Amino acid sequence: MAKLLLIDDSWLTRRGLSGMVSDMGHTVIEAENGKVGLEMVKNENPDCILLDLLMPEMDGYEVLTRLAASKNQIPVLVCTADIQNTARQKCLALGAAGFLNKPPKEEELKGLITKVLGE
Amino acid sequence: MMTIHSKPVSDRQIEALRELINIGVGKGAAILNTMLSSHIVLQVPQLTLMDMEDLAAEIAALGSEKLSMVALKFDGEFSGSAELMFPSETAMTLVDTLVGEAPLDMDVDSIRSGTLCEIGNVVLNGVMGSISNIFSSHFNYSVPEYIEDLSENIFLDRGVAPQTTILLAKTRFLIETLDVDGDIILFFESGALDRLMEMTEAI
Repeated sequence: MAKLLLIDDSWLTRRGLSGMVSDMGHTVIEAENGKVGLEMVKNENPDCILLDLLMPEMDGYEVLTRLAASKNQIPVLVCTADIQNTARQKCLALGAAGFLNKPPKEEELKGLITKVLGE
Repeated sequence: MMTIHSKPVSDRQIEALRELINIGVGKGAAILNTMLSSHIVLQVPQLTLMDMEDLAAEIAALGSEKLSMVALKFDGEFSGSAELMFPSETAMTLVDTLVGEAPLDMDVDSIRSGTLCEIGNVVLNGVMGSISNIFSSHFNYSVPEYIEDLSENIFLDRGVAPQTTILLAKTRFLIETLDVDGDIILFFESGALDRLMEMTEAI
C-alpha cells in the first residue's frame, strides 16, 4: 500500500480521484494548491503525486519546476483538463512521469499508478 | 460579408473558422458527455462580429433569468475568453447529477460554484485545447472564474471597453436526458482577429 498526494484545487476532482486511488488500496492525502502541496511533499513523504496544472496560488508547472530543482525522486502524474499537446510535452520535459486528462478513466489512472510505483 | 478591421472576410474563411470552432465545441461536448453519461445535442456555431455593448444586449436578450457562467481566459497567438453558460436554475440539475451525496462540511453555494467551475474548466479546456492542437499552437489559461448574475449584468466589469470589437462564436447545446440547455461562447478580442483568420487560412 502506497501513500499518494493529490494536488488539485477542485474538491470535486479530489473526491473522484481519491475514491479511485482508495479503491486500489492506497492511502490518499490532499492539497488544494501547489504551495500547500509542496509543503506536504516535505512533511508527508508521499510515494506518488497526482498533480493538477491550473490552480490558484501556485500552478502545476511551478510545482514540477521546483520538484525538479530539488532533485525530487517522487513520481509525479499530471492530471489536467488541459488537452493541448504542448502542455503534455512541457510536463514531460519538466520531469512528470505521466500525463492524463480529466475526467480520468479509472483503468488509465490505475495503470499509470501501478507503473510508476513499480508494482 | 463580414469585415475585420475594414478587410472583407470571405464566406470560405468564415466557414473554415466555423468548422474549427465546431471541432473544438465537439470535443468539449464529448467531455461533458463522459462526465454526465448523457448525450449532448449541439447546434451549429453562430459567428458574429460585434462590440462589447452588442454582446451585453445579446446576452440580455436571452431573458431576465439568472445565469451561471464559467469564464476561461486564454492568451497565446491570439487572446480572448471562453464561457460556458447555463440558466442558474437548470445548472443545479448538473450539480446534483455530478455530486450525488454532497459533502457534509461544505455549504450549498460552495458546492454549486466549485462543481460548475470544474465542469467549465474541463469542457472549455476541451474546446480551446482542440483549437490549439489544430494550430500546433499553445494557449496559456487563467484560473477559471465562476460568475452568477442576471443576464443583463453578466458581461459587465469584464475589463473590456464597450466599443471593443469582438468575434463572438456561440453554440447552443442541450443535454437531453437532464433537460438542461446552455451555451458555449467564445470571444476573440479585436487584436486577435487578423491572426486568427491568418492561422485558419493556413490550416
